[in-house]
Amino acid sequence: MTKWGMVIDLDKCTGCQACTTACSMENTRLPGENWQDVLFYSEGSYPNVNMRWFPRPCMHCERPSCVDVCPTRATYKDPNGGFVLIDWDRCIGCKACMVACPYGVRFYTDERAVVEPDVRSVFPGEGKRQWSPPYSSPHDDPKHGVGVQPKGVVSKCTFCYHKVSKAPAGAADLDEDDPATKEYTPACVRVCPPKARYFGDLDNPKSKVNKLIADKRGVRLLDHTGNKPQVYYLSGGAGAAVPSSRSSQGRS
Amino acid sequence: MGMMEKILPSAFARRRFLQATSALGVAGAASQTLRPIEAGAQRTSAALQTRITKNICHQCPARCGIDVYTTNGRVHAIYGSTEHPIANGKLCPKGPLGIYILYDPDRFRGPMRRTNPNKGRNEDPRFVPISWDEALDIVAKRLNDLRDRGESHRFALLYGRGWGASCAGLLGTFGKLYGSPNVPIGHSSMCSDGSIKARQALDGNAGYNAHDYRNTNYLLIFGASFLEAFRPYNYLMQMWGYIRGEKSPKTRVTAVDVHMNTTLAASDRALLIKPGTDGALALAIAHVILTEGLWERSFVGDFSDGVNRFRTGETVDPASFEEKWVRGLVEWWNIEVKDRTPQWASEVTTIPVRDIVATAREFGSTRPAMALFERGAHAHTNGILNAMAIHTLNALVGSLFAKGGMMYQMPPAYGPLPANADDYLDDYARNGPWKRHPRIDLKGHPDGYLLANNMMQEVGPNSLNGRPYKLDTVMFYQNNAVWTAPNCRQWEEAAKEWFIIDTSPFPSETAMMADLILPDHTYLERYQDAPTYPFEGWPLTQLRTPAIEPLFDTKYFGDTLIEIGKRIKGPTGEYYRKLGSAENVLRHLAAGFARAPGDNGVKDFETWKEKGVWYRKPYLWQQRNGEFYEWDGRDYTRRMSPEEVKAKLLKTPSGKFEIRSGWLEQHAAWIAEKTGRSPAKLMFPHWEEPKHPGGGDLYLVTPKVALHAEGRGANIPHVIALLQPTVGGRSEAYIEIHPRTAQERGIKNGDLVRVSSELGSIVGRVRLYEGVRPDTLVYPMENGHWAMGRWARGRLPGHSGEITVNLSDRISGQCAYYTTKVRVEKA
Repeated sequence: MTKWGMVIDLDKCTGCQACTTACSMENTRLPGENWQDVLFYSEGSYPNVNMRWFPRPCMHCERPSCVDVCPTRATYKDPNGGFVLIDWDRCIGCKACMVACPYGVRFYTDERAVVEPDVRSVFPGEGKRQWSPPYSSPHDDPKHGVGVQPKGVVSKCTFCYHKVSKAPAGAADLDEDDPATKEYTPACVRVCPPKARYFGDLDNPKSKVNKLIADKRGVRLLDHTGNKPQVYYLSGGAGAAVPSSRSSQGRS
Repeated sequence: MGMMEKILPSAFARRRFLQATSALGVAGAASQTLRPIEAGAQRTSAALQTRITKNICHQCPARCGIDVYTTNGRVHAIYGSTEHPIANGKLCPKGPLGIYILYDPDRFRGPMRRTNPNKGRNEDPRFVPISWDEALDIVAKRLNDLRDRGESHRFALLYGRGWGASCAGLLGTFGKLYGSPNVPIGHSSMCSDGSIKARQALDGNAGYNAHDYRNTNYLLIFGASFLEAFRPYNYLMQMWGYIRGEKSPKTRVTAVDVHMNTTLAASDRALLIKPGTDGALALAIAHVILTEGLWERSFVGDFSDGVNRFRTGETVDPASFEEKWVRGLVEWWNIEVKDRTPQWASEVTTIPVRDIVATAREFGSTRPAMALFERGAHAHTNGILNAMAIHTLNALVGSLFAKGGMMYQMPPAYGPLPANADDYLDDYARNGPWKRHPRIDLKGHPDGYLLANNMMQEVGPNSLNGRPYKLDTVMFYQNNAVWTAPNCRQWEEAAKEWFIIDTSPFPSETAMMADLILPDHTYLERYQDAPTYPFEGWPLTQLRTPAIEPLFDTKYFGDTLIEIGKRIKGPTGEYYRKLGSAENVLRHLAAGFARAPGDNGVKDFETWKEKGVWYRKPYLWQQRNGEFYEWDGRDYTRRMSPEEVKAKLLKTPSGKFEIRSGWLEQHAAWIAEKTGRSPAKLMFPHWEEPKHPGGGDLYLVTPKVALHAEGRGANIPHVIALLQPTVGGRSEAYIEIHPRTAQERGIKNGDLVRVSSELGSIVGRVRLYEGVRPDTLVYPMENGHWAMGRWARGRLPGHSGEITVNLSDRISGQCAYYTTKVRVEKA
């Protein structure tokens, strides 16, 4: 079975937000409602100030807490590929999933626009469509939470389901540098200038993502929650590192 | 009702709407009426017809090749072209947003004429649509009349981002045939001429460097915002990922700036320097390199007996040192560097001595190493001196033309144009009265800027003062000088006196002052060539191909210029009839590829269109261990004579890297008179206190950031949401202020403040930030428009141009954007 996963090398990430904008255009996101955000932090005092950033997609958890709390089974774990997705035809916008998600990667966008004037009034949509910019993605698949986010529902990163789900069967990695897999690679991975992102099959021992997780000590965010993200972060490259649940799998 | 809402409905005549829609069919979706898209129509459309066209991103100088995805007539995605050597399939954060520029609802929809004779921020231009023929005839009549009166010099054409031979490349010819010294005036002095002129002074190449990042082991970056705005940005980040994440050994980086940005944060060492003092730091680094014997002897030379005599404070006998590829090293030491100790520099720059020494030792002992610099270091009155001091470090460690070092960009193998302009000069063009007039900006004039390339920032004030004369008609291409110039209100006054022709597709401030709007296509709608900016040295040029038919009744600027040319009386008109059209020009350029086919098989216009890019590797020269070699077809083995090096690489009077600049020395009397610099020192990189006008107590620095899309970022909602993530701006950019500086003035986080200089004041909201120098305010230069579209207009903080004094480096002509001092108080 394919279990898609992402690896983000924090030593290479330049904090440029190309992942954010590529995702925004590919998935017709409202300005500032970023499925793929980069969070910035700073601490310390002048002149020794430590600024850091953290790129954050949906973790597409193996044990997603958002799925457990959904009263309508709108949020689900797709066994075919391991995506966590939302069926917009079932979602009632109760936001329970947003509370349950430890990673803050779910979006309900019916409230005030981040940027005024509101693009929804400039490019109005019809019916349940929140808006219809001329460049809207041609991919519209509400059963998988793909396309323009309708009114009254929650949305989230789909791992670019509309691309990845069409990938050639058995592909170990979806690499933008490989012409055979380029078009099936998630937008944020494909665009990333320093190549800080990799996407592949975590269930395929030969995949590059598994090699990177092994060689460069991939860790998962908030591992203690037991959500088991399918997004791994690489940082430091040193032997000493924050232990991840992967290293304790044998013991658990 | 805001001004734009008042303008646009009148501009958007029903007549034009029908023209545009009949040409395309889906244009209405992007039009002012914004007809909603039927959701069902998309969901049920079974067959998606997707087409990919090759284009070049338009949002910074980098020129990344892009694949434009168009499905059923709509552009919906942009990705980097995998086969493009700069893009390599990648994009920076601006790239994907380019679609928005195409579908920007505030675009002009066709040519228009102003009907309100009054001009100003609060004057509705009352534009009315006219036909292209009417518009072009109005321009031609004005230009012909000026020529008939012997006043053709009073026509100026100002351009910003010129792309290639089919747009900006045509302008010089137009000036020569028509007869105006002011066609064209480029924006380079408001860009980064400080960098270009420093290189001209030292190594004789008036250009930016190309770089071999892949093989470098050390980067010392002065004010260049490597991970935000240095070009080619996308490629730099690709290189960053490689040299910092994969290369062995990992490239080490020290970065110098006035606030903590992503470049400094991602580097090994961040140095927060006092604005305008980068030259002092570079001089101290040179001091350490020389006293500790770390210079590259094979390139620089050595003492005859091999014993290092560079000791702090002591002069050295020039005869004891044998220079190889540099000129004036020992003289420089004696007159300047011997006293430029880390202790001295620490007092000037506020950087601790230990950091200066550690940086110098690393830079001096790691090969290959490169020192990079841009506007942060040289947009000051002492800018050329700062820049020369920094670039001299590259010579000291032998990085010029070396593997892992820097070189200069080779031009593409273009074919000749359909006609030779020199065959179409009439008597007026050859000897008309226009020949007696200096350029309006006094570029190349002893009373102005004798050595500069351009002085666009002087055009507004000079014309306003009638010194040397007043302009009559001014045309703008890719240029919004009425807003971007320092002391921009002066330009607004000047603009009231001009007949202005603007060619931007967007309602810029300059357009609001315009009498005639001749809107260009956006970049996804036009054919246009663009040779690369300095990149890896080997020649590369690329082509924009329209993804869709133009949405509106617009015209490519190259064609607008040719059509005006055809309407000029005499042989000029004949010349432009020979050129025919911009596409014909492009076809003639591409004919040059037949003799020099690209590595990717591009050999003519059709293959260029298909691949989007022509290039030929390798770069032809390499300096290795102090010897220069030329490519022999397989490797760099053919040894070059000093004469060849002088002709091709080190193009100075001496054929060496001139720390004692022969070019500056040639103009020593003028420089001494205008700058007060010592005649003995003015040709060397040396320390000079920068001037800080404005009357305030805090420096103001307004850097370009990653989302700064040239000329259009301000009106892109996604850019607004992402402009300044480092301090948390989501819909508004903040003025970064140090907590202590704020506290001393009773300012709290999030307060509205007034930032003032002697010119006026702007308002903005502050963010308290430990990462900014306590003596400096920083905010991104993008906001504060009074036009430009519904999202741009009035967005805080106010525009830095309103409080930036118009002061320039007298040598390079570089506008000293970062040298004004301001006051800040609670608004």
